[in-house]
Amino acid sequence: MFRKIFILIISFLMVLFVSCKEKRGVVTFAVGGAPNEIEFWETLVKEFTRQTGIKVNILRQPTDTDQRRQGLVISLKAKKADPDVFLMDVAWIAQFSASEWLEPLDDYIKKEKINLDAFFNKVVNLVDRYKGKVIALPVYIDAGVLYYRKDLLRKYGYSEPPETWGELVNCALKIQKSMRKTNPNFYGFLWQGAQYEGLVCNWLEFAASNGGGIIFKDGKIGLNLPSNIEALQFMYDLIHTYKISPPNTFTEMKEEEVRMSFQKGDALFERNWPYAWALHQSEDSYIKGKVDIAPLPHFASGKSVSTLGGWHIGISKYSDAKSKAIKFLKFVISYGTQKKLALKLGWNPGRKDVYTDQEVLKKMPHLAKLKDVFENALPRPNLPYYTQISEVLQHYINAALAGKLTPEDALSQAEKEAQDVIERYERK
Amino acid sequence: MGYRTFSELKESYAFILPLIIFILTFILLPVLGTFINSFFRDISFLQRKFIMFENYKQLFNDSGFWEAIRFTILFIVVSVPLEIILGLIFALILNQAIPFRGFLRACVLLPWAIPSAISGRLWELIYNYNYGLANFLCIKLGISTGPINWLGSSLGAFFGVVIADVWKTTPFVTIILLAGLSAIPMDLHLQAKVDGANFLQRFYKVTMPLLKPVLIVALLFRTIDALRIFDLVYVLTHGGPGGVTTSLSLYSYKYFLAGDFGYGSAVSVMLFVIAFTLSLIYIKLGRFAELGT
Amino acid sequence: MIEERFKSILIWIGYVFMVVFCLMPFLYMMLISVSSSPDFLTKLDNIEFTFKNYYSVLTSKSLHFIDYLRNSIIVSGVSAFFCVIIAGLGAYSITRLALPGKMLILFFVLAVSMFPQISLIGYLFKFMSTLGWINTYHALIFPYIAWILPLSLWILVSYFAQIPKDLDKAALIDGCTRWQILRKVIFPVAAPGIFSVSLLAFIFAFNEFMFALMLTIDYHSRTIPVGIALFQGLHGEIPWGNIMAGATIAVIPVVLLTIIFQRNIMQGLTRGAIKG
Repeated sequence: MFRKIFILIISFLMVLFVSCKEKRGVVTFAVGGAPNEIEFWETLVKEFTRQTGIKVNILRQPTDTDQRRQGLVISLKAKKADPDVFLMDVAWIAQFSASEWLEPLDDYIKKEKINLDAFFNKVVNLVDRYKGKVIALPVYIDAGVLYYRKDLLRKYGYSEPPETWGELVNCALKIQKSMRKTNPNFYGFLWQGAQYEGLVCNWLEFAASNGGGIIFKDGKIGLNLPSNIEALQFMYDLIHTYKISPPNTFTEMKEEEVRMSFQKGDALFERNWPYAWALHQSEDSYIKGKVDIAPLPHFASGKSVSTLGGWHIGISKYSDAKSKAIKFLKFVISYGTQKKLALKLGWNPGRKDVYTDQEVLKKMPHLAKLKDVFENALPRPNLPYYTQISEVLQHYINAALAGKLTPEDALSQAEKEAQDVIERYERK
Repeated sequence: MGYRTFSELKESYAFILPLIIFILTFILLPVLGTFINSFFRDISFLQRKFIMFENYKQLFNDSGFWEAIRFTILFIVVSVPLEIILGLIFALILNQAIPFRGFLRACVLLPWAIPSAISGRLWELIYNYNYGLANFLCIKLGISTGPINWLGSSLGAFFGVVIADVWKTTPFVTIILLAGLSAIPMDLHLQAKVDGANFLQRFYKVTMPLLKPVLIVALLFRTIDALRIFDLVYVLTHGGPGGVTTSLSLYSYKYFLAGDFGYGSAVSVMLFVIAFTLSLIYIKLGRFAELGT
Repeated sequence: MIEERFKSILIWIGYVFMVVFCLMPFLYMMLISVSSSPDFLTKLDNIEFTFKNYYSVLTSKSLHFIDYLRNSIIVSGVSAFFCVIIAGLGAYSITRLALPGKMLILFFVLAVSMFPQISLIGYLFKFMSTLGWINTYHALIFPYIAWILPLSLWILVSYFAQIPKDLDKAALIDGCTRWQILRKVIFPVAAPGIFSVSLLAFIFAFNEFMFALMLTIDYHSRTIPVGIALFQGLHGEIPWGNIMAGATIAVIPVVLLTIIFQRNIMQGLTRGAIKG
């Protein structure tokens, strides 16, 4: 009997070794995004292999940012050699760098003669550094912008887009009233207020343009500030008092919902990321040629603020093909590739110098304006546990927008819970 | 049976040993490990440290945790009775002499057979605001005047999850109840008929009492399964919108994702305690049910 | 006889409802998988059919769809096979051998089946990570076997208990060892039951999600439920056609098994539940 069991165990173990062994020394590139984006990466990778002879396998990831993070967290926590190089969302890059999962790039940058000044300095210094060392580089940048219907503004006698929130409200009220006569679905201002990360990005733009935002002092977080309360009250008023933002702003409105509504011609102003531009100008867009971009408005006493977004590229500390991976990274952030990303996908390159390229400017003329916006974009706190703080903020800001809490109550409770989070993660 | 020689004993244990080893190594050990880990600060970007009950203290002040408990309990309270009632109806029908019973049985089994993750994607499409089946039917059948925002509203998402889960798990309840129904001897029904009972009375006086132990089994199985729900909420709603459909399992998972294995472990331990308590109740009740029959 | 009529009508309504309730989502899934655009319900007069979705899903290399399917089948098959053997040995011991503490073992196993998966995965992940098994077949097969053992044990105990012990006694007298009895007497007699348990074990392993989600990374060992859950389609903005085509292919194995062997499956499930 025992001989039989022995044979059983041996055959069991043999079956296990049928499973594929991971190839050594091949660069695996993990990237997600919309299907058309991944298709484009595939062509890029083929070209890279043609140029350098280095083989790169694409590890296809989902579109959603949390799902992309999950795939990476599992590999990195298990210290796997694959994927070697991958893209990271600004929102959680700090978690990766603080967990020491990213390979420091300074030596490679020197060796491969990568010019750091070609990139947006503020972005690199605020996001891509950990303990002084560079651990990632920007592939593309995002920052909130104001889209506006230049045809409608002209028609109603406005020569410039509004610079303050007050001006925006007055302008929107007047035009909305008139437009409602023919289009009952018309709204003055669309923005993302649903309970998700995008809400924090929107809120920051309101609050920081009033001198507020997420403030840190002596290790304590400050949210319950007069500037924040005023900003949150304003956001509430946009929906419930002035009614220039639709009632489903805080239940459904995310990037795509806002974009599609604006693109149908149902709004005057839109707050969205730059990606919407290419879609607004597409052949079947109702607003083709009628829209323009401007920096976001600010409160009377403040300055215009855009929240920084975007994806950065880094190399795994456990990669078994680092020297090859760095060549691929260099390829992705090279001028040529960045220009292609701009022209083909409508992305905003991480390299400053592409913004003055004639061909790019012809296709995306608004990039000239955006360059300034990006240079001064406000990053979210670069903390490894930022996503937990964000969840607290999302919950309470949305509750205030829904009218369940007053702005002051919401912010003071958020401050308390966020402080608990900080204490948990900052305790030595 | 009953030989108590040492070699016989050795043999009996040898046969059961592989099973014990597997369960010990790959179930008990991980549970223990997770339990121990919950007393540590195990975060990917911080130094590992023994912090005793700190994770648990944080848990009790964590509004997200209580929201997860609220959702999980609400989910159980709403979906389990629905499954039982629907399962009972289906079982009653399957117990009749109907044509193509095999076909009906296969139909009923199909929802149970497919992976819950795939069923999640399927229902994600069904609940699509613009062109999903659910809104199409709701409008066509006059249930609502306009499209319902299933996945984008709290109420819609909750019932979306409930309906999808009921669809998937009713087959299981049906099978169990059907077995219970077919175990009821025909004579009892015939006798009751002779005594002048109509089928409603027969149902209440004959069927239900004899079905009770099986109902309890189904109820408890489903309750514990509903408690652990993960696949469906992960795929269908990702716990949204805004965390309203985050089950305890999903809540724990979110912390694993953020690199905080210690806190996630603590949440999963709480879920374990609840599940374990319920299963003890189940075993106790199951014993009484057996004694009853 | 009005009552009989009333009852018949109710039964027929129920019958139709059952079929529609259970099958409609599947039909919808298949319909979308062959339409050129997922919003065909809004344009009922303009339905276009195409097999493009299936073609893209099956031939797109970076998608690794076939790999997921292959991984699922291998992992489920191997897990089911060994699970049934181990459970068979255990069930034999419990039903026929002098095993002190057998009731304890049975209830222990029952309790274990109630554990939430999430309470395991935290440490299981570290465990697998230390062994270097993340993203391999082993990482899934071993936990699957352990995870499906409780149910398999209960079902097999229920089947074995019904086999008369005289068979054993007769064989013992003939000089067989316990192992030979198991192989030559019990297994053949309990074959249908063992088959049912294998089916159930395969289906459970095939459908498992959480372990596969956290213990695999890519096409080397990722299984199809995770593949479909994370699938975003191949072209277009919201390519449900692709996703449904993938889903349809993915469920073919279990659907076929269920349709063909529904009797066995129902029997197995019933045994597992009622005995407990």
